[in-house]
Amino acid sequence: MIKSRTNQIAIVLLVFLAAFVWLGAGPISAQDAPTAEPAGEVTLNDVNEVARDLWCPLCSGVRLDACELKACDQMKDVIAIKLAEGEDAASIKDYFIEQYGPQVLGEPPREGFNWLAWILPFVALALGGVFLWRQTARMMQPAEEMSAADPGSPPPGAEKQAEDDYARKLDEELAKYG
Amino acid sequence: MIFHIGYLILVTATVLAAFGMIAGFVGGRQRNVKLTLSSYHAVYAMAGLVALAAAILWYALLTDRFEVAYVWNHSERALPVFYKFSALWGGQAGSLLFWLLILSGFSVAAAFFNRRRHWAIMPYVNAVMLGTSLFFAVLLVFAANPFELASFVPQDGMGLNPLLQNYWMVLHPVMLYIGYVGLAVPFAFAVGALLSKRLDNQWVRTVRRWTLIPWMFLSAGILMGSQWAYMELGWGGYWAWDPVENASFLPWLTATAFLHSIVVQEQRGILKVWNAALIWMTYFLVILGTFTTRSGVLESVHSFARSDVGPFFLVFMVIILFGFLWLLFKRLPLLRDEQAIESYTSREAAFMANNWLFAGIAFATLWGTFFPMFSEILTGDRISVAAPFFNKVNGPLFLLLILLMGAAPLLGWRRTSRQAFRKQFTWPLLVGAVTGVAIWLLYDAGYPAIGLAACAFAAATIVQEYVRGVQARRITSGESVPAAMGNLWRRNGRRYGGYLVHLGIVLIAAAVIGNEFFQQNTNVTLANGESVTLGRYEIAYTGLEPNRKVNHVEYGARLMIFDQESGKTLGSILPRRNIYDKTPEQPTSEVGLRMTLIEDTYVVLNGWETGGSTATFTMYINPLTAWMWIGGLVLVLGTLIASWPHPGRRRSEAADSVAYAVGSAGD
Repeated sequence: MIKSRTNQIAIVLLVFLAAFVWLGAGPISAQDAPTAEPAGEVTLNDVNEVARDLWCPLCSGVRLDACELKACDQMKDVIAIKLAEGEDAASIKDYFIEQYGPQVLGEPPREGFNWLAWILPFVALALGGVFLWRQTARMMQPAEEMSAADPGSPPPGAEKQAEDDYARKLDEELAKYG
Repeated sequence: MIFHIGYLILVTATVLAAFGMIAGFVGGRQRNVKLTLSSYHAVYAMAGLVALAAAILWYALLTDRFEVAYVWNHSERALPVFYKFSALWGGQAGSLLFWLLILSGFSVAAAFFNRRRHWAIMPYVNAVMLGTSLFFAVLLVFAANPFELASFVPQDGMGLNPLLQNYWMVLHPVMLYIGYVGLAVPFAFAVGALLSKRLDNQWVRTVRRWTLIPWMFLSAGILMGSQWAYMELGWGGYWAWDPVENASFLPWLTATAFLHSIVVQEQRGILKVWNAALIWMTYFLVILGTFTTRSGVLESVHSFARSDVGPFFLVFMVIILFGFLWLLFKRLPLLRDEQAIESYTSREAAFMANNWLFAGIAFATLWGTFFPMFSEILTGDRISVAAPFFNKVNGPLFLLLILLMGAAPLLGWRRTSRQAFRKQFTWPLLVGAVTGVAIWLLYDAGYPAIGLAACAFAAATIVQEYVRGVQARRITSGESVPAAMGNLWRRNGRRYGGYLVHLGIVLIAAAVIGNEFFQQNTNVTLANGESVTLGRYEIAYTGLEPNRKVNHVEYGARLMIFDQESGKTLGSILPRRNIYDKTPEQPTSEVGLRMTLIEDTYVVLNGWETGGSTATFTMYINPLTAWMWIGGLVLVLGTLIASWPHPGRRRSEAADSVAYAVGSAGD
């Protein structure tokens, strides 16, 4: 018993640890890329490098670099101006969050109520895992504890007779009209 | 006149569905032959009426009857006939009618093919199918009448949404609907089994194929949707975790879990409650998905259709939720497991882990999809939950799933011995490890190395299983390799078809990893004759080619692709912008694509100046993307093999059902 309790706690801790390491590791790809240097002319590629990490505040699920709305074109112009002024990607991102709210992030900000978005899936997974573990452990106990149910067997006696009659009649009717 | 008749047909269908549903429930409960028979006839008649209503709407669309508001809003004279035909599912009311049409088709098929079997369950199956039909018929009659007439007769229609004027967009909804709607059949069987107390494994055995075929259509539909997004939306990707995409993906996840967990019930007589609950969740998610796309409750690029169908859906969903839960609780004492699990290293334990992960991914996806709504209600802040969230939360779960997909088929039922472990796992693990290390060394990239190593491991287990199967047949019967392979599929299609489905998923996963981690892109403005280098290619712009079509003008920018090193011409592509006469402010994009097995060259035409003297492009190199579509084909092929009735099995199924139908009449 103690062993299985320890196992459960270990699973929960592991799932949480994994989740936090993963979330803490931050985005994998583009955000780690070096910010475009303001030196020289700002190209479309420099702008889109920043825009790739932002999301259209008016649409849902459309990345800023791929969005064709007028509002998004204006946002890209602002990025170009800010890059030319020497601002880095992080501060441009902060500026847009301030202007448009956390919608431009494409993910819930990791603060306050929105933490729930990140945590709950892993909590659910951990609880599900514990439940499954317990069920399996219970099922692995000696077989005599499991009562041999046979729910599929037809009911006995008179009712059985009635059911047979019904099946036969239905078959006949279906043969005629079905 | 004819459109009034159309509406009247829908009203009649509503009444008929209500009658048939009651007849099925009461007939099944009272074992009343006449009422049961009526439920069958109601199913057939309902299908006839709905087909007639659909035919009338098609007639209106094909003959440009713009006095019908639906035709006016979703078609136009110049629309090609093909798209006029598909406009039936291009808008709200029509697509609901189309839903009902497919549902009626499935109801007829389920009733007809099972009319001599499952006599206790079938009246309830008819009742549940007709109950679902009733709901959609009520929507059509009260909230979204496709035959509503305009107050005047317009000269021309407003045109079909330009985004929908695409080959894939015609096929994708059909596939998706067949998949979506078909999943009502296994749910109806689950309700039937619970109501009739026929809770042995018979219903599970029957619904396997009724789940597998819709599942295949749903998979194909989702992939075609991705293909459409890839070709039409022009952002270099194929899946945005948009709420509408998630709506189709959620029932896919639970249906996949169900397809796996019913194997455990068949083999070992366990997970009975879970199986009933899973198919209930799947059905609920189908209705929820239809609700989210039809009611505009969650904003998304797809929600072109909004109307007042929302409250009807809410009521129906509450009925499904609580009705089924009540029924399940009432039947709990009859749903005891017949056997026990013996070891954590058994196949049944692996199946349970599979279900755990699928349920986890489904929950995370559902939660993420609806979270913006909760957040806005509770905090007042609007946030967006898009790809960054889903990739981070679901990414690691998918990785575990692929590892499990590789490991599970190698485990034995009940338990796996240490010796068997060594025999089964040595080669696949080695292949996975070598792949991972190679990718790490070549590209210095950790996450893709882990992901592709998992894919290689899973693929290696499948290859190993095939090699062993073929070898065994060659030893026993001396067959050639192709003959042995054919026989594996013919005699044990469930297993070897299933492996092919897994292989399809592995290929799709590899494509996703390639795209996610190794995509390259650039934005350029090129003058006529100028070129740019991207990846291994040099891409040159050679001019704009306008082309007048029936209802739009296509502007294509010709690009030549050269091998950067050798200078050899590899081909030419034509990314286009289509400007539709009816909606010039909403130009659509057709990407220029050169597809190879290694990588796609994918170019979007963003705009041009002075007749095409310069043009602006977004260019992408998308590695491994072709494998996504190849994986999709492999998946469909595998599903067909897995669901194909095997002559021997068919005989034994027929014998089973006869024995079941007559009960133990002899004793």
